[in-house]
Amino acid sequence: MSSIATTRIQRELKDIKESNNQSIKIELKSDEFNNLRGEIVGPSGTPYQDGMYKLSIKIPETYPFNPPIVSFDTRIWHPNISSVTGAICLDILKDQWAAALTLRTVLLSLQALLSAAEPDDPQDAVVAKQYKDNQKAFVKTARFWAQYYANAPGPRDTDCVEKLRKASEMGFYKDISLQALSTHSWDLENAIQYLTSC
Amino acid sequence: MASYFDEHDCEPTTSVHNSSRRTDLLRMLRLFLRSDVEEYGHILGQFIPDGESLAPPAAKSVVENLPRISLKDLDSKKDAQCPVCLAQFDNDDVIITMPCEHYFHMDCLLPWLQKTNSCPLCRFELVTDDPDYEELKKEKLGQKEREARVADLHSSMFG
Repeated sequence: MSSIATTRIQRELKDIKESNNQSIKIELKSDEFNNLRGEIVGPSGTPYQDGMYKLSIKIPETYPFNPPIVSFDTRIWHPNISSVTGAICLDILKDQWAAALTLRTVLLSLQALLSAAEPDDPQDAVVAKQYKDNQKAFVKTARFWAQYYANAPGPRDTDCVEKLRKASEMGFYKDISLQALSTHSWDLENAIQYLTSC
Repeated sequence: MASYFDEHDCEPTTSVHNSSRRTDLLRMLRLFLRSDVEEYGHILGQFIPDGESLAPPAAKSVVENLPRISLKDLDSKKDAQCPVCLAQFDNDDVIITMPCEHYFHMDCLLPWLQKTNSCPLCRFELVTDDPDYEELKKEKLGQKEREARVADLHSSMFG
């Protein structure tokens, strides 16, 4: 790895430790400086509130002249993040990257993205469509995913719990059942029909 | 055969040369991508620059003329650090001043300006050597001015 990339990552890790922000974390995955693990807390006032989201951060050889490659390891229901792969659609991770941006500013931007989705520039078309057409179903799904995958506290929606139980009792994997129910805005019949057809 | 302009006894309003024709084509593609973004945008976007891609490098002559200074010229900012490598400036470092009054190590700033034309800190844009990009910038500015004029007109009529 180039020396500028390595020294910058070392300085950034030190700065984050000293900044004492409890809602973002970055640590090395191994001794290599090109492979890091991040964690952000879901912002309050959103369906993601108090969820713990793990991120995988890869540092290119040409950092900071090229952006870090970041994706969600924890599954999340959000218009700008793939509900299947965790790929993120965020301008500063692509063409709006600037060499003075840091991992700390990237994680803060991701928290801002969780607070304010941009459904017109979607990464996950299914989620974006639900966000625009059926906001109530979107919030219900995003909150349930936050509790199911990101350990967000609070009582779970009984309708979601019940339908997920029914689908998995029919022999479908829980993750796949949850994806199908979410995609079909918790219409059990449509979700089952979809699950049996694929 | 007589051209459209001969038949109508008029001149084209703007000169149609290659680069503006190309900008027109790009603008058409951008409009097309925006309107159909849900259906095709993602597929086409991989192949066609949509105007949102990284801006071209800063013009070589402009970069060469950016003032080079050393730490002693920065006396009010003794503990300043370079925003690219995050290291503090040292006595024998060559420091470049951007027109926006941001300071960088020369070795940290030059690779960035060879990639794109803006300040790594505030995105202040330097001129580029790319005529298409400069044309696009002018076009965007013109559009903003037109919108501002329309807004002015509206507020003078209804405001």
